[in-house]
Amino acid sequence: MSGNRLRFLVVSSLAALTLFAAACGGSSSSSSSTSSKTNATPAGGGTPDTTAGKKGGKLTMLAASDVDYLDPGHTYYTAGEQVDGAMGRTLYTIGPKDPTKTLPDIAEGDPQISADKKTVTVKIKPGIKFSPPVNRAVTSKDIKYAFERFFSVNVGGQYASYFPIVGAPKSPTKGVKPISGITTPDDQTIVFQLQDAVAVSFAAALVMPITTPVPEEYAKPFDAKNPSTYNTHVVASGPYMVKNDATGNLVGYKAGKSIDLVRNPNWDPKTDDRPAYLDEIFIQTNASDANVSSKQVIAGNNLILDTNPPAAILKELVTKVKDQYTTVPSGGFRWFPINTTIKPFDNINVRKAILAGFDRNAARLARGGKFTGDLPTHFLPPQFPGFAEAGGFDGPGYDFLSKKNESGDMALAASYMKKAGYPSGKYTGSEQFLMVTANADPGKAQAEVAAAQFEKLGFKMKLRLVPQDSTYTEWCQVPAKKVAVCGAAGWFKDFIDPQSMLEPTFAGYTIAKNGGNNNLPQLNDPKVDAAMKAASLLEGDARNKAWGEIDKMITADAPAIPFVWDKTTLVRSKNVVGVANPYLALWDFTYTSIK
Amino acid sequence: MPEPLLEVKDLTVHFETEDGLVQAVDGISYSVERGKTLGIVGESGSGKSVSSMTVMGLTRAGNARISGSITFDGRDLLSASDADMRTVRGGDIAMIFQDPLSSLHPFYKIGDQLIEAHRSHNAVSKAKARDRAVEMLGLVGLPDPRRRIDSYPHEFSGGMRQRVMIAMALINDPKLLIADEPTTALDVTVQAQILDLIQKLQTELDTAVVMITHDLGVVAEVTEEIAVMYAGRIVEYGKSDTIFAAPEHPYTWGLLKSIPRLDTPRDQELVPIFGRPPSLINKPSGCSFHPRCPYVREAHKKVDPALEPTGGADPSHKVACLLPAETRRSLWAGLRTGDTPDEVLQEVEIPANKLSPSAEGQTGEEVAGQ
Amino acid sequence: MAAYIVRRLLWTVLLLLVITAVTFLIFYVLPSGDPAKLRAGRSPSPETLAAIRNQLGLDKPLYQQYGEYVWNIVRHFDFGNSYTNNQEVRTLVFSRLPNTIFLVLGAATIWFLSGVVIGTVSAVARGSFWDRLLMGGALVAISAPVYWMGLVSLYLFSDDIGKFKLLPGSGAYQSAHGLIDKGHALILPWLVLAAAFAAIYARLLRSNLLETLSEDYIRTARAKGLSERRVVLRHGLRSAITPIVTVLGLDIGILMGGAILTETVFNIDGVGRLAFDAIQRGDLATIQGTTVVLAFGVAIMSLVVDILYAFLDPRVRY
Repeated sequence: MSGNRLRFLVVSSLAALTLFAAACGGSSSSSSSTSSKTNATPAGGGTPDTTAGKKGGKLTMLAASDVDYLDPGHTYYTAGEQVDGAMGRTLYTIGPKDPTKTLPDIAEGDPQISADKKTVTVKIKPGIKFSPPVNRAVTSKDIKYAFERFFSVNVGGQYASYFPIVGAPKSPTKGVKPISGITTPDDQTIVFQLQDAVAVSFAAALVMPITTPVPEEYAKPFDAKNPSTYNTHVVASGPYMVKNDATGNLVGYKAGKSIDLVRNPNWDPKTDDRPAYLDEIFIQTNASDANVSSKQVIAGNNLILDTNPPAAILKELVTKVKDQYTTVPSGGFRWFPINTTIKPFDNINVRKAILAGFDRNAARLARGGKFTGDLPTHFLPPQFPGFAEAGGFDGPGYDFLSKKNESGDMALAASYMKKAGYPSGKYTGSEQFLMVTANADPGKAQAEVAAAQFEKLGFKMKLRLVPQDSTYTEWCQVPAKKVAVCGAAGWFKDFIDPQSMLEPTFAGYTIAKNGGNNNLPQLNDPKVDAAMKAASLLEGDARNKAWGEIDKMITADAPAIPFVWDKTTLVRSKNVVGVANPYLALWDFTYTSIK
Repeated sequence: MPEPLLEVKDLTVHFETEDGLVQAVDGISYSVERGKTLGIVGESGSGKSVSSMTVMGLTRAGNARISGSITFDGRDLLSASDADMRTVRGGDIAMIFQDPLSSLHPFYKIGDQLIEAHRSHNAVSKAKARDRAVEMLGLVGLPDPRRRIDSYPHEFSGGMRQRVMIAMALINDPKLLIADEPTTALDVTVQAQILDLIQKLQTELDTAVVMITHDLGVVAEVTEEIAVMYAGRIVEYGKSDTIFAAPEHPYTWGLLKSIPRLDTPRDQELVPIFGRPPSLINKPSGCSFHPRCPYVREAHKKVDPALEPTGGADPSHKVACLLPAETRRSLWAGLRTGDTPDEVLQEVEIPANKLSPSAEGQTGEEVAGQ
Repeated sequence: MAAYIVRRLLWTVLLLLVITAVTFLIFYVLPSGDPAKLRAGRSPSPETLAAIRNQLGLDKPLYQQYGEYVWNIVRHFDFGNSYTNNQEVRTLVFSRLPNTIFLVLGAATIWFLSGVVIGTVSAVARGSFWDRLLMGGALVAISAPVYWMGLVSLYLFSDDIGKFKLLPGSGAYQSAHGLIDKGHALILPWLVLAAAFAAIYARLLRSNLLETLSEDYIRTARAKGLSERRVVLRHGLRSAITPIVTVLGLDIGILMGGAILTETVFNIDGVGRLAFDAIQRGDLATIQGTTVVLAFGVAIMSLVVDILYAFLDPRVRY
């Protein structure tokens, strides 16, 4: 479990760059995104009705940048997955109604997980057909091939660590090679043999675009090239397809300009829960200025915006326009990890004192204020499995991280400092503590706020500003650098599973001493570790409950100051009935309709 | 006496500036007869160029205050419209300037500049104007004019450029040529050639010339009459011979002493004029030359001298000086033998209160009241 | 002259070599610049990186990579493929170049003409109410950021989000077909891009013209009896405009590398945005391609300017 389970959304518009340039985990000048549904949170627009939609119409989405890849085996950014989600079908999916539940899509029902948690068997529905020019039924072999090609250099799949299948290559293969651990007893069945007992989290990851079927006989010539040219020949299995010609060439895809999605004539609504109201979806992938495109969406018709509008427009939306946006949690948290191996931060009462006195509101303000997200009281983000179990918005009930001390409680902090052995209520040592952050806002601004919070308690902070990229890779992720506080960190989900949120970030056994470490506080609590090991084998509600409890345990250890649960605000024109996809935290083309 | 071609009377040119009123020309009168030459001599800032530019109508800026009269060929130029003045400029009155390189447009061929000058006053074809330009260039001694007409100014030497300027000035047969320091920027040898050329053309074409210079040496050979200007006024006026033989103003003496002359002893030192030209905004009181005059007396600082006939052999000879006539003559007598002003002062006594006759009447309350 | 042009062209080639080499080196020196890492996704295994390096030819010695790179440019004008979407950089650049050229030349025409007219009026009416008004306006136009001006013009005049729906707004250029429609869609961007330049040119021209009008040859022109109009336009402006033509040439050359802000606000697919996006994504091939095009634009335009100068100013000879 060494890979970052992070999803990145490249935001290349200038305004977005300056306003949203994220200090999120390991990303290079990118803003993160992803997740959940739309009911809680002080949202405008609320949860749109997903049942009543009018059929027909053409929707245009203004996006600041192109998708990374259309190839479902290659894409790793939400924008790519958003298009792939309309075009391709995956084994499982997450619908707008319940963001915590994975639903079968191509799959016939829930995955069958063996008792030893090492085998996953999935049955697939009959009657699902590929779009022209393939025009044949989807079989389990098409999914097997999709996995195999994912592991080749030519395709370049980017999240191989989620799929520890027996026989999966350790490094990318030259050309597509068979994987022994995937078998297809018949056209409707696929069986995955796993190296470890991780079937539960493996099954949760089957919503990812890797499970989109790819017809081998059609894709083979494209995949033979390096890099594969399947990216411009993707064949659809979902309700929509990118306009193509007789050879499958995607004439509707103009790189860096536009993507034109039209109906897939071979899609049979009877096999799919998704209504797919729209006739056509036109994605302009070079709507460069977020200020302008936001305004165009608000003032126009049949338009949606791809991601967060700039802060100024956000304010206008919330206060004036009111009914043209939907807020979805991004499925992650931003935090200031406190290095628990450095004295005196190894003292839990010192850490509690820091949390107690910390003005999280001020830190969030440095990122743009209340519109950017909620103030956390623990780690699992809203509408995520385990969120409610860990205490919801009110939190697990620890006084040092509660709704009451959002702006810091110095008296409480002093009392914890006294408990820690500092009778004055303040730290009295004279050493300097290294804090590293990005040299650009908002990373810089938020870290300056954080440093001030530490100094309130008498800690002398040395703030070091480094380039965005190296904040993570060269400093915070390298234990040898002895960074006391990381000033620009965030953790965002890849798929809906609480384990992926808490294990890499807080499990003692994941600490990587030689770099690439994601347990930034280097929390090493045997009780937490044991609970995680046990919880990783659980399924269903028990699993969510167990991870909720783990979240409470972690919070009790006070290893970090979580200060924003990010949310994404999606903007639409008046006549658009927009439905958000909770998994991607983006609009869902297959549910959205036009009035 | 025939009616003069150009008659300037009581011409005053003042400019309003942020620093104050610049009294560039302060009531001057002179006249030039047809075909004759007048030299106007003075240092820079004496108003000699401004007065000529005013004749051309080139000082009609918003901040200029011009009074007096300028009569040219029977016409009042000061009251002429701008459009009328344009036909006079470059037509009946032409002008050449000090630096022929900067005075020619660097981007246009000389032929085009000549043709433009001709065609702006004559409705002729380009070809005809070109023929005329070639003719004029030949007349001013430009070798191979038919070929050189398509050259640019920077392709000529300084003397040749001035010849081009002269050709351009004379292309419309002007009645009057104003030459403003025409030789100052040129080599000494070339200077003589240009002066010869001007003189030659003047005779051939019967053009009157106003020669403006700071160098008395230049006008010595060329002009019939000379006006010496100082601080916007004419301080001495007379026939050239008179000015050279019997100058009566200390400033003229200074000018003469500061140029080498063939008729003075070789070992005689050249004496520069002490001091600098006065500010035209705050002119010195009384005689404006008094701060630089070696023969100054207290009374000279109070009375403004008028330009008066000297009463000498030349009836046109006038001077504006407060020294009594006999004192002036004794001083010059000493100076012309080669004495320096200091030496002369040893020999000649300057009366402290006795002024020239014309000024005597002014020494009353008016002066005392100042 | 011919020898001069040949010499200059050789220098241009050398310059382009140096520029490609410098971009190449800078990119390799930058810590985040490893294209293999950028391409490999998050936390790639060393094997993945090695495979990608091999695929992109990044495991060869630097000089060899550079040599191949230059050789490909020389032979096919081939800058390689974009690291992010694998398209030919040549195609990317050339598909966008016409948009940038259209934008820049249109704007340049506007700013040059208006700059000259405003500057001339201001110089001739020096110190007057008009002079002060025009120069004050110019100062505002210079100080206003292009990006802000673009937004304001859209909020005011664009036909989708504007207060007064007069002109096509952001994105209109891309959906426009035909030269006339495209030109119509470019009116706002032209004006926005031209505004600051026009102001700079107006001020430049004004001071040049004032200086020229005090030249001796202007006095000569007046003494020749030419009309004031002819004096100012034919004699004054002719000299005052010459240095500005040089500036114009270089400005156009530089803008061939893209008018990033204008292209961004008005959503025009130009070279500038291509370069900007490429820089953000660490897409070396595209960065190189756009840089070379920019350098080429500047080099060619400066050559054009120098040649033009010889025609404008006869004193200059090569």
